[in-house]
Parts: sequence; C-alpha cells; structure tokens
Amino acid sequence: MTADISVRNLVKHYLVPVREGGLRASIKGVFKRRHRRVRAVDGISFEVARGEIVGFLGPNGAGKTTALKVLSGLLYPTDGEVAVLGHTPWQRKRDFLSRMTLIMGQRQQLFWDLPGIDTFLVNKAVFGLDEPTYEASFNLLSEMLELGDLLYKPVRQLSLGERMKSELAAGLLHSPSVLFLDEPTLGLDVTMQQRIRQFIKDYNAATGATILLTSHYMADVKALAERVIVIDQGLVLYDGLLQGLVESYAPHKTITLQFEQPVEIKDLERYGEVERIDELQFRIKTAKDAAPGATARLLADLPVADLSVEDPALEDVIDQVFRTAAE
Amino acid sequence: MRLARIAWAFLRSAVQHELAYRADFFGNVVRSLLGTGTAFGGLMVVFSHTESLGDWNFPQMLGLLGVFYVVQGVMAVFMSPSLNKTVEEVREGTFDYILVKPVPSQFIASTRRFVLWHVTDVALGVAIIVIAAGRLEDKVTLMDVLVFLAMIFTALSIVYAMWLSLTTLVFWWVRMENVTMIFNVFYETGRYPVEIFPFWLRQALTFIFPVAFITTVPARAITGREASWLTWIAPIVAIVVVLAASKFWRIGLSRYSSASS
Ligand SMILES: Nc1ncnc2c1ncn2[C@@H]1O[C@H](COP(=O)(O)OP(=O)(O)OP(=O)(O)O)[C@@H](O)[C@H]1O
Ligand SMILES: [Mg+2]
Repeated sequence: MTADISVRNLVKHYLVPVREGGLRASIKGVFKRRHRRVRAVDGISFEVARGEIVGFLGPNGAGKTTALKVLSGLLYPTDGEVAVLGHTPWQRKRDFLSRMTLIMGQRQQLFWDLPGIDTFLVNKAVFGLDEPTYEASFNLLSEMLELGDLLYKPVRQLSLGERMKSELAAGLLHSPSVLFLDEPTLGLDVTMQQRIRQFIKDYNAATGATILLTSHYMADVKALAERVIVIDQGLVLYDGLLQGLVESYAPHKTITLQFEQPVEIKDLERYGEVERIDELQFRIKTAKDAAPGATARLLADLPVADLSVEDPALEDVIDQVFRTAAE
Repeated sequence: MRLARIAWAFLRSAVQHELAYRADFFGNVVRSLLGTGTAFGGLMVVFSHTESLGDWNFPQMLGLLGVFYVVQGVMAVFMSPSLNKTVEEVREGTFDYILVKPVPSQFIASTRRFVLWHVTDVALGVAIIVIAAGRLEDKVTLMDVLVFLAMIFTALSIVYAMWLSLTTLVFWWVRMENVTMIFNVFYETGRYPVEIFPFWLRQALTFIFPVAFITTVPARAITGREASWLTWIAPIVAIVVVLAASKFWRIGLSRYSSASS
C-alpha cells in the first residue's frame, strides 16, 4: 500500500499580535507590536494509505483545521515535512491542486447570490474539465447526492443541508483522489448527517479516494473511520484503530439493567458506579474484566427483566482520552 | 487559453449576476451619464473664461477627460471589483478556496468579478476622445492613434500593478478597509495634466503615484501634443511595476494565515 499522505514532525505556529487594553498600551502597540505564539500544531507525524478513511479527532482548538490547511497547501508550516500525492502541498503545484480537494463545513465556496450551477461552471473551467468528463462527474454527484434542481436555485435560498450537499459536489467535481473534509456535517440535522455520511462512504468505495476527515459528531467517526488520529494541543495522543481506542481508553463497560420489581441500590453498588435511570432501570459502570462475572451474578441474584452490556459511548471515551492526557 | 476560459466563466457568471439586479443596471448607467456630463460641462465653463489650462487648450483637455474615463471605466469593470472582493475574502478566510485552485492565485484574484455596467464609462470616455480629436487644430494621424493605443495599454498595466499592490497590503493589515477609496483620492488628480501642478507634486505624480503615465501621457499622444521622454519610458515602467507587483503579491501570499475556524 502506498501512502497518499505522509506527515513528519509538522509544526505550525501562528504569531498573533497582542493587543493590550488601555490607551497607552494601544499607542505603544502601533510602534512596537508584541506577538504571542499560538502553537496550533506542535509536531505531529502520521501516514494515510491510499483509499483509507481516517478520522481526525480533537477538542476545539486542537489544531485539526490548521493541520488540514497545511496539508492542502493553504498555509506554510513553521517546520516539518509533508508529502501529499508525492507533492509538497505549499508549493501549490498544479498537479497537486488538481488531484485534491478541501471542503470545510464552516466556509463556503459557492457564489452566494447565484445558483450553484454557476460555481460549477467556473470550477469546470478552473480545473480544465472537458465536456464529457464534466458531464460524467456532474451526473454521478448529482445522483449520489440527490441534487435534483437545487443547483438552479440561488445559493442563498438553500437550507444549510442543501447547501452542504452542493458544496460537496462543487468540491468533488474534478474527481480528486485525496479529500480533506473539515466538519462536513457541521450543523446538520441527524437525517442529513446520515445522508452525507453515507455519501462519503459510497464515494470512497466507488473511487478509492483517500479521505482525512474531522468531525465533532462521533456518529460520523464511528460510521466512517476505522482508524482515528486523536490530537490535542497540537500533539498526537492516539493513532490507531477506533476499536483499539475504545479498548485502551475505556477500561470499563456499561451494564444496563431493567428489573421486574424494585431492588436495593446497595445490591448494585458492589459491581461498580450506579446510575439510576428510573425506578426499575439502572446503569452500572463496571471494570471491563469484571463485566462477565458481574453479569452472571446479577442475573442469578436479582429479578432481571432485561440486561445489556455495552462499551461506553464514543464521546465518553474521547473525553477520557483528553482527561488522561491532561493529567 | 485555459486562463481565457476561466476569465470567460467568471464573466458569464457576472452577467448573470447583473441580470438578476436589472434595476441597478439602469440606475448606474444614468449616474454614469450624469457624472461625465457634469465633468464635460465643468470643462466648458472653465474654458469660457480662459483659453488654456497649463498650455492645454479645450480639445486637448477634453481628450484628457476622455482618457480619464476610459481608464477609470476599465478599472471599475474588473480591477477594483475583483481586488476588493479579494481583500474581503482574505479577511473572511474564504480566500482559502482560491488558493486551492490549480490556477495562479493572482489571476483569479484579479479577474473574478466584473461589474459590467461600467463599460458605459469606457464608451463615454471613447466618445469624448473622438469628439476631442475632431476639434483639434491638427488632424490625428494613424501614428498618433497607434502610439495612443500603446500608451493606454501601458496606463492600464500600471493601474493594474497599483491595484494589485494595494490589495497585497491586506496580508499585512488584515483590517484594511476600502482600497478603492485610497486609490481614488490619488486618481482624481488624473483629471488634470501633470504640468499644471507645482514641481514637487508633479514629481510625486510621475514617480511615486504615477498618474502622469496613466492619463497625461496617453492624452498627449491622442491630442497631437509632443511626446515627451515619459512616452518612451512608459512601457518600461509598466513592465517593471507589473513584475514588481506580482513579486510583491507572492511575498504577501506566503504570509497568508487564513482565518481561524
Ligand atoms: N489564522 C489564525 N491565526 C491565529 N491563530 C489561529 C488561526 N487559526 C487558528 N488559530 C489558533 O490555533 C489553534 C488551533 O486552531 P484550529 O482551528 O486548528 O483548531 P481545530 O482543532 O480545528 O478546532 P475546532 O474543533 O474548534 O474547529 C487555536 O488556538 C486557534 O485559536
Ligand atoms: Mg476546526
């Protein structure tokens, strides 16, 4: 397998002017600006193989967007080496730019006042697509995303979800083989998130494109990425299978119980931390190793109507990762 | 070729954009007519009191006014809209999407917006020049016209370089407000031949903010005035400033830090 993306010790610091309060400080600031260094990305390394979908996770301000911007050639890094499709992104070679795309949920490229189709036609010219290529790509995307006549309405009249679908199509018109998706499902309702997710999955299956994606919605990550890279404060905390993340950072399981009749809470507390959902329903957080034994005894000793054992929610696992890192 | 197709695509979307706001279109045309009309009238009034300004007579001043409008019109058709748009996008961060396109960013930044109704300014400018040429004492020769066209092209190149440089400043001062305003203050001086200004101002308007090359020099060519040495160095100046502005743009670009979020 070849690596489409390879990142070694990537560092990106921003120098931000410090504005101090007060008139005197402001006047001084005009002549001599003081700068503060924001260590957005502080030495990360990883590789992504061709055709892989990798989830890029981290709390707000972790440096995800910054890393994607360096990878797509928007920003010059402070230090480190990056190769995407064999190119150094910030040299912005035409071959590189024609084969990758950056789509950001928080930033739109479609012309606001015009129908989406106009942006498409401009992109067609910009990427030098000939008529048959454009047609084929357009039809494929239009069908996969169910664009229908959305593209013929002024963009400002579209709903957030409709706009995001059009954005995706606009960014994929040139059939890129590397996709950087920064929160593509931002602000969408559950159904639309699901649609976009499915689309990304299908697109990856159909084209074999390499995808690096960020999202704060764990459902996206769970559905799409087998592998995740977790970063915080510019550093990689975890890089590996999503399943492995759960196993190593969540040394407990959750047992959810439904009883036939009321039980004493203290009978449950022997097994772990208890949370009462309602009169007959409880949730017990128990050590992973202890889970099978606990399950057996609960079933034997108490009037259990229903019982299920689950890994904790991904959100909680991630939260656990960050808390462990902070300690 | 590919670049021409891209510009054409931008142009087409601009036409569509403007057709969507038809009312605007007519209002603007009327405004532009009034503007030129007033300037024309003002000149008539001035020349009812005097024979010449500096040593420019009425038809020559009229020629200058025409050049002023032609250049202003071309600027207003694509340079100022495109580059102002770029300033706005750099500030907001949507410039990101221009940088990831496989086309030189300077090209997109300079051609992405067209405001078509300003073509009327160009047309009015040309009309004024034709009227002026008809009233000159000497006939305009073919040679005059050729030199004039070359000078107009030079003037437009210089104006473009200035726009591009001003725009590039946004990479340092993100909060830079309206570029057009800064530019127009200086450009207004182009309504007059540089000769009428005092020495120091004349030098400034030739070598620092080169309005001399933008209106005076082309106007000289079409109104049968003697070509000065400025005419001969104009093309060189144009090439140098365009290359310098382009270099400056690339330096600015390397400072681009996108916008947070
Ligand atoms: N253009 C910029 N100039 C200065 N600082 C910036 C800039 N962009 C981001 N930062 C800072 O760099 C850090 C990382 O930001 P980044 O946008 O990469 O985080 P993120 O992981 O994408 O967060 P989020 O999940 O909120 O999108 C933050 O502290 C942010 O304030
Ligand atoms: Mg982000």
